[in-house]
Amino acid sequence: MDINKILNANRVKLAMTASNKEEAIAELTDLLYDDGAISSKEAFIHDVWLREAEGSTGFENHIAIPHGKSAAVKQTTLAIGRTRRDIEWETLDGSQVRCIILFAVRLEDQNTTHIRLLSQVASALADDEVIDQLLDESDPEKIIQLFSQYAETDLC
Amino acid sequence: MKIVCVAACTAGIAHTYIAREKLIKGAKALNYDIKVETQGTIGTENELSPEDIAAADVVILAVDIKIKGEERFKGKPVVRVKTEIVIKSPTKFLEKVTHSLAQA
Repeated sequence: MDINKILNANRVKLAMTASNKEEAIAELTDLLYDDGAISSKEAFIHDVWLREAEGSTGFENHIAIPHGKSAAVKQTTLAIGRTRRDIEWETLDGSQVRCIILFAVRLEDQNTTHIRLLSQVASALADDEVIDQLLDESDPEKIIQLFSQYAETDLC
Repeated sequence: MKIVCVAACTAGIAHTYIAREKLIKGAKALNYDIKVETQGTIGTENELSPEDIAAADVVILAVDIKIKGEERFKGKPVVRVKTEIVIKSPTKFLEKVTHSLAQA
C-alpha cells in the first residue's frame, strides 16, 4: 500500500514551536487544515480532546499519538511533528514528548485502505529503530519513507 | 507455548495495532507461538479459528473495550490486560503469564 495516500511533506513539521500539549495539537491541526485535510480546526480539536478524555495517548520513548475521529475530517490522514521543547504528556514510561503523531480519521470512512495505512503506521511504532529515526531524522521525506517501508511489507 | 490474543482499544485506530506488534515481538523473543486477532475500526482482522483457540495454552485479551466473540474462549485460561500494559512491557508481561500458568 502507498503511504503517500495519507501522508505528504506538508503534514510533517520537524521544528514545532509548541510548548505544551494544547499548543502541539493545535499546531499539527493547522498543518492538516492548511493542507485541506480537515474542514474545521475547532471541531477537529474538540474531537481529539474527546479521545484524550478517554485515556492517555502518550506512548513511550518521547512519542505521543493523539487521534480524532471527526466529522471535520475530509480525508483520513496523519500529521507528524517534532517539538523543539519537551512537552508534558501522560506517557507510559513517564518520558516527556518530543514527537507527536496526530491521526485524523473520517467518521463515515470506516472501511478503507486509509485506516489500514494508519494501522500500519501504528504498527511501525512498535519498532525501536523507527522510534530512533523519528526522534532524529531532519528530512521530512525520510520520515515518510520510514513509514512507507512498513506500509509495503505486510507484517502479520 | 502457544498463545492466542485479541487486541482492541477504545478508538480502534492506534493502540490495537501497536499492542499486536508488541505481543508478536515479545513472543518471538521468548520463542512462543502467537496469533493475534485485532478488532479495530476496520473490523476484525486475522480472526482466531476454533482450531487456533483449541490448540492454545492460554488466551490473552489485550483489550480496553468489550470485544466480540468472547464466548469462544470458554473453558480456556484467559488473561485480561489493558493494551498499555502489553505496549509498555510485552516480554515481561508474557513471562508473567507463563509463570502463573506453570503454577496453576
